[in-house]
Amino acid sequence: MSQVTIANVRKTYGSATIIPDVSLDISDGEFVILVGPSGCGKSTLLRMIAGLEAISGGDIAIGGRVVNNLQPKERDIAMVFQNYALYPHMTVADNMGFSLRLSKVPKAQIAEDVAKAAKILGLTALLDRYPGQLSGGQRQRVAMGRAIVRNPQVFLFDEPLSNLDAKLRVQMRAEIKELHQKLKTTTIYVTHDQIEAMTMADKIVVMRSGVIEQIGAPLELYDHPRNLFVASFIGSPSMNLIHGRVEGGHFVSDGGHRLPLPRATAGLEGRPLVYGVRPEHLALADDGFEVEIAVVEPTGSESHVLARLGDNDLTCVFRERITLRSGDRVRVRPEPDNIHIFDAQSGDRVIQV
Amino acid sequence: MTSTSSSAWARVQDSPWFWLLPAGLFLLVFYTWPLLDVVRLSFTNASLVAPDYDYTFDSYRRVLRDPSTLRTLKVTFLFAGGSVILKLVLGMALALAIDAGVKRGLHGIVLVRTSVLAAWVIPGVVVGVLWKILLSTSSHGLLNYWIQAAFGNSVGFLTDPDIALSTAILANVWRGVAFTMILLYAGLQRIPPELYEAARVDGAGAIARFRFVTLPTLAPVIFIALVLITIGGINTFDLIMALTEGGPARATEVVGLRVYQQVFQFMNLGRGAALAVLLLAVNLLMTLIYLRLLRINRKTD
Ligand SMILES: Nc1ncnc2c1ncn2[C@@H]1O[C@H](COP(=O)(O)OP(=O)(O)OP(=O)(O)O)[C@@H](O)[C@H]1O
Ligand SMILES: [Mg+2]
Repeated sequence: MSQVTIANVRKTYGSATIIPDVSLDISDGEFVILVGPSGCGKSTLLRMIAGLEAISGGDIAIGGRVVNNLQPKERDIAMVFQNYALYPHMTVADNMGFSLRLSKVPKAQIAEDVAKAAKILGLTALLDRYPGQLSGGQRQRVAMGRAIVRNPQVFLFDEPLSNLDAKLRVQMRAEIKELHQKLKTTTIYVTHDQIEAMTMADKIVVMRSGVIEQIGAPLELYDHPRNLFVASFIGSPSMNLIHGRVEGGHFVSDGGHRLPLPRATAGLEGRPLVYGVRPEHLALADDGFEVEIAVVEPTGSESHVLARLGDNDLTCVFRERITLRSGDRVRVRPEPDNIHIFDAQSGDRVIQV
Repeated sequence: MTSTSSSAWARVQDSPWFWLLPAGLFLLVFYTWPLLDVVRLSFTNASLVAPDYDYTFDSYRRVLRDPSTLRTLKVTFLFAGGSVILKLVLGMALALAIDAGVKRGLHGIVLVRTSVLAAWVIPGVVVGVLWKILLSTSSHGLLNYWIQAAFGNSVGFLTDPDIALSTAILANVWRGVAFTMILLYAGLQRIPPELYEAARVDGAGAIARFRFVTLPTLAPVIFIALVLITIGGINTFDLIMALTEGGPARATEVVGLRVYQQVFQFMNLGRGAALAVLLLAVNLLMTLIYLRLLRINRKTD
């Protein structure tokens, strides 16, 4: 079994604490994505799992074996780096077979394993090329090939797609996911792109400043963000957040606009709150509240509308094509089941209505 | 308005030739002309003492027939070859050590780097004199003073024909290893750290990382260092002049020194020039190789 257990792991550089205390359980075969803004410590955590960075406290176990003091090669992991890190003077085949060669696997066996991995990734025709003769996407695939040849317990990816163009990224996303479904190897994947996280992960770990904000399945995070940070980080376009308070069964924004609250909200009266609703959960409705259209962005399949509610910007995503123009006033209504209320001070979710 | 004249002036200023002119003139007067004059003199029997000379191939003929020319060349190549190998090996060791030290934030590194560099900026003549003082067999030789005290006899670092060349090579390496170190150190900085990390994950230990990551990536730099040190080694004059003056028994007489002696001791300008032209030919060859390597490097970048 190749589950990964991270227990109270800390990381400090001198007096700077990068990761104060992180615990995380990853079960066998799971595809876990660490996501968070730049500098939050995702790479650091991944590199500590890889053994490229020493841990300052706590325990990391892979397959039930504590690996705190083991060299990367003894941890039975394989890693794919952001800029591929292919050996420039080795052919694709040599790159992929390098780890086997180091562990003295017979040549014939190496060739066989490399050929197998190359076939899975569609690299067979490129085996004799050098990395310099490959496109970015091909290099990325070779880097993955190098990882799967070794058949490790755990795959580690550090932003493997961030150097690719948008279209290729979408394609590689699907390929990595497919590869994971085929190999079922435990995978830990770092990205700051929440769409990557949403589309690929079994489980997403949202991090901020070295702290895990929430762990959960993609849709769980989307439907039930635990706090304002997760709410605004997950989902694109991101959730609309309006500051205000509850008065007489309504949410009243700081600008004095009344927003519907479909259910009992006893005990919330008076304190500063944040009203959250995702752009796709707003619909045109005659009984809604009035907003003023600022920008309409048709994407073809849907319409993104930037509207204003007093001082607040409100992004709406409508399924239908609309013929509104800047300056028009329309009425919109949030879906009653998808309204989130957060405490303005702590940022924690208060209720989900 | 002076707009027409100033625009003509601007056009002159825009031309690269204008800016190259001073340096070009300088090179012409102080390099090209003397160089051509050496070539011209090599086809004469000119002497420093007699004002008249004739044009002849005699100087070349005599230089090529002279058995000591061959010996001088042999000494030169041994000197250059020994220096190259030692400078590369030691330069690499120093570069790796300093690189590792810097990455680990060790404090002593600055000291190491500075002292290696200090040796490099000292003029060759001074290095020669320093090593002479250190190694001399006479009473003021420091090292021999200690050896004498410990073992009762002295070592002829500079007086034994079998040892003197090695001594000269060591002095030259001591002096010039910093250059190799700088080249290789700069090369090391260009190796992406992820390459080492990937190799570590792939299971490569320190030696395997050196062999499979450092060495191949550094190969172009190593070749360039090789050519440059070779050129430097073949042309060495000042250090040997001060250290051994070519002795003992001409055991350290390199080409540069022999040119000097032909001209200024034997007053034989023609033969000295012919020998210098031979040296020039070797240098040209090495330079061509160097330019070739540079071009290959630029392509692979
Ligand atoms: N060697 C180091 N010394 C001191 N601080 C470091 C060191 N390496 C990383 N850090 C700090 O640790 C924090 C986390 O870095 P890390 O690389 O893990 O971020 P990240 O989440 O991967 O960000 P990104 O998305 O930009 O890659 C950053 O604030 C960074 O400045
Ligand atoms: Mg990172």
